[in-house]
Amino acid sequence: MRKFVFNLRLFFESARLSYIALFRWLRPGTYAASKIIMPLADIMFFTFIGIYANGVEAAPFYVIGNAMHLAAINGIYGVTMSVGGDRWEGTLPYLFGVPGSRLFTFLGRAFFHLLDGSLNVIIGLLLGWLIWQLDFSQANLLLLGAAIATATIATCGMGLALGALGLVTVNIMFINNLFFFLLLIFAGANVPIEQFPNWMQTISQFIPLTRSIAAARLIINGAHLADVQSMLLVELLIGAAYALLGFIIFRTFEYQARLRGTLEAI
Amino acid sequence: MSERNIAIRYIRPILMSAGVLFKQQATDLFVIFTVVIQPMIVALLALWMLGDAVDDAIYIVVGSGMTGLWSGLLFNGGNSITRERWTGTLETIVGLPTAMQVIVIGKNLANVTQSMASMIACYTISSLFFGYPLVVQQPWLFAISLVFTGIAFVSFALILAPLFILNPAVRSFQNGMEFPVFLLSGFLFPILLLPNWTNPISYALPTYWAARALHITSQGLATRHELLFVWAMLLGFSALYLIMSSWIFRAVLRKARVDATLNMQ
Amino acid sequence: MNALVISDLRRVYRAHTGVIKRKVKEVVAVDGISFEVGEGELFGMLGPNGAGKTTTVKMLTTLLIPTGGRASVLGYDIVKDESKVREHIGFIFGGERGLYWRLSGYDNLRYFASLYRVDPAVSKTRIPYLLDLVGLSGRGDEKVEGYSRGMKQRLHVARTLLHNPDVLFLDEPTIGLDPVGARELRQVVRNLQAENKTILLTTHYMFEADALCDRIAVIDKGKIVALDTPAGLKKHVQDLSVIEIEVFGLRSEALEKIRTESYVDTVSLENRDQRQALMIHSPRGAEAVPDIMAQLDGHRVGRVSVREPTLEDAYIRLVGGTHE
Ligand SMILES: Nc1ncnc2c1ncn2[C@@H]1O[C@H](COP(=O)(O)OP(=O)(O)OP(=O)(O)O)[C@@H](O)[C@H]1O
Ligand SMILES: [Mg+2]
Repeated sequence: MRKFVFNLRLFFESARLSYIALFRWLRPGTYAASKIIMPLADIMFFTFIGIYANGVEAAPFYVIGNAMHLAAINGIYGVTMSVGGDRWEGTLPYLFGVPGSRLFTFLGRAFFHLLDGSLNVIIGLLLGWLIWQLDFSQANLLLLGAAIATATIATCGMGLALGALGLVTVNIMFINNLFFFLLLIFAGANVPIEQFPNWMQTISQFIPLTRSIAAARLIINGAHLADVQSMLLVELLIGAAYALLGFIIFRTFEYQARLRGTLEAI
Repeated sequence: MSERNIAIRYIRPILMSAGVLFKQQATDLFVIFTVVIQPMIVALLALWMLGDAVDDAIYIVVGSGMTGLWSGLLFNGGNSITRERWTGTLETIVGLPTAMQVIVIGKNLANVTQSMASMIACYTISSLFFGYPLVVQQPWLFAISLVFTGIAFVSFALILAPLFILNPAVRSFQNGMEFPVFLLSGFLFPILLLPNWTNPISYALPTYWAARALHITSQGLATRHELLFVWAMLLGFSALYLIMSSWIFRAVLRKARVDATLNMQ
Repeated sequence: MNALVISDLRRVYRAHTGVIKRKVKEVVAVDGISFEVGEGELFGMLGPNGAGKTTTVKMLTTLLIPTGGRASVLGYDIVKDESKVREHIGFIFGGERGLYWRLSGYDNLRYFASLYRVDPAVSKTRIPYLLDLVGLSGRGDEKVEGYSRGMKQRLHVARTLLHNPDVLFLDEPTIGLDPVGARELRQVVRNLQAENKTILLTTHYMFEADALCDRIAVIDKGKIVALDTPAGLKKHVQDLSVIEIEVFGLRSEALEKIRTESYVDTVSLENRDQRQALMIHSPRGAEAVPDIMAQLDGHRVGRVSVREPTLEDAYIRLVGGTHE
């Protein structure tokens, strides 16, 4: 029990620190601007292309897809930055020195991004409502919330894997950008997955967002829990699998670093 | 001012600055991502999305190429100034007789050239590979428009550089300015789809006129009358931004020297 | 005409502290200094860390705008005629930064030459000449990231001479160099002086200032505390001799006692492993030794020497008192 409380403290402490680090990095003003302007422009760009192709009736498809994809801003960039951040700030040895609680420190960072990432998606959907009158009257909002949380958790899982990878490779920005855009394509935010060639459809099945985006579209059209619960569950599992992968990479890296004594040198 | 003088004061510093930037970022993966991979992904998406609506693949290639041009300038242009900060050369070059603005023009020129060249290569290769014929209907007018586009992008990016000099938190500006310019410039859809009140903003962007010139010449829709008007607007706004930027540069560098932020990291 | 005219120059930094509540703290780095440097003069600035030397140099090289006062370089005002000033000056801020590490030394010089608006025909001959001058010929094609610290600093010297400037600002040019490298660099500076360039040099090495400078300003806490020729500065301590005594385990009461003696001007103590080096400035010279030894009764005492004061002693007398 004591151990649990200790771990819980560690969890919230590292979540809080991630938050502070973000604010130190971006002033509150610029943070707000990047919270509104960037998501807005991102959604609008692809939605307008969609509207140009298929008329304004098609707008909900694109708005929902791209709004959900915004979860990846935190899931990928945010999480990798705060995991990888150790490397720049020299706290890695300290972090590794805390026994038994690594998982909680690791997860604590992800927790903050979970909240922040969900906020991104909600802002995105609200913009859709403001600009294209996205209709929520059929939607079970609680269920929609669950889909958003699922999307964020799953992308954070992927972010943890990429972040751990970032500790080993130099070019984390490149990897981040690549995966951010690959998710945009493969998760079917802008193109129905059925239009992809088969090999692409296979990849789509093994990444975050594919199912939560589909679920969100269904929910806004009036679907019930029974219609989407298996999709959301599978997506959570996928997210967990990525997180586990990240944790394994992290631990392997730690072991290697201790073995070679390169912890400080990184 | 004699020709020789102009060459020594402006042309050579611009070309040398461009050359140095080439050497510095030739193998930079981040640069390659912004000028090659990201526009290819946008092109791929747009091809799927617009495939039925637009009968010309060239429209998508030109439009997505322009997104790469802008991202490249915004990110690599900003990062190159941040890099000067890291290496401590920002202070050195401010203390030189050559104006900072001239150096930044060189950097922007390198970025635009690099983006254009790598994208033209990529699109040509993929069109051969996938069997999409890419036909530019009015090649000469298109080529001239392409040169003007280079000028427009260089001068537009010039008014951003001072922001990067003033504020080391470059990335948040970059993220905030990437997609809005895609949107407002009509790279991949007509700006008529946007709310009317945004149109004046689009008209003030040289990137909008550049997109228009490239789209109409590549699709063979350019009438002499329209093209001349578009070119005039494009060059006019470019000139305006060039003049404005020299004023902004002076103000910003002065502020940096008052606040002692030039060697801040 | 004087090459540099500085009158009542002042610079205040505003430092922000705190993340959430941002407080502004003001630091007066240069506090109303005035001096003039003649054409062809080699003028030195000495002073403890944080005295304001670099800040002064940055203002004179147009990289900082003064908070108050004025200064001119070759008659050009450093604020109003900044571009004129920049054409005629060269500057180095000691250390390795400020070069393009991914480029070769030669390419660095070629690039900076273009920015200094050197005619390409001229730079073709000038760059090899400068590389040779700073002892880098043969290494010019290597990337700067592979250079040693000293090589980078010498490349900086070459960089700043590209446009053959009339006035040079050298801020700690020999910092971190090995003794041979530092000596070679001093020779370069001497040669430049022989070419009648005006040079403003800052350094922490007293013998360097003594050997090179025509005149020296000693700066402390943003103010000039003395300005004279090296010989003139030494006159400040001419009346004194320096007594150095090696002691073991000196007790602080004994030190305080010595400090208060009438024949003692300044005392400083330096710890070296087990021993301590006690340095006393005294007008009585060797005659004071027996009295001091009496004070040290009960201590183990090693070597004792008495010597003439050096520039360093003068410097310590000028700024030392405030730094104990
Ligand atoms: N950018 C800055 N912002 C705030 N304070 C500064 C800044 N640069 C220098 N200072 C402060 O101004 C004072 C003078 O600094 P300066 O660098 O001029 O000293 P210096 O004589 O060159 O010292 P050193 O011998 O260590 O090089 C110091 O107190 C320093 O902390
Ligand atoms: Mg200094």
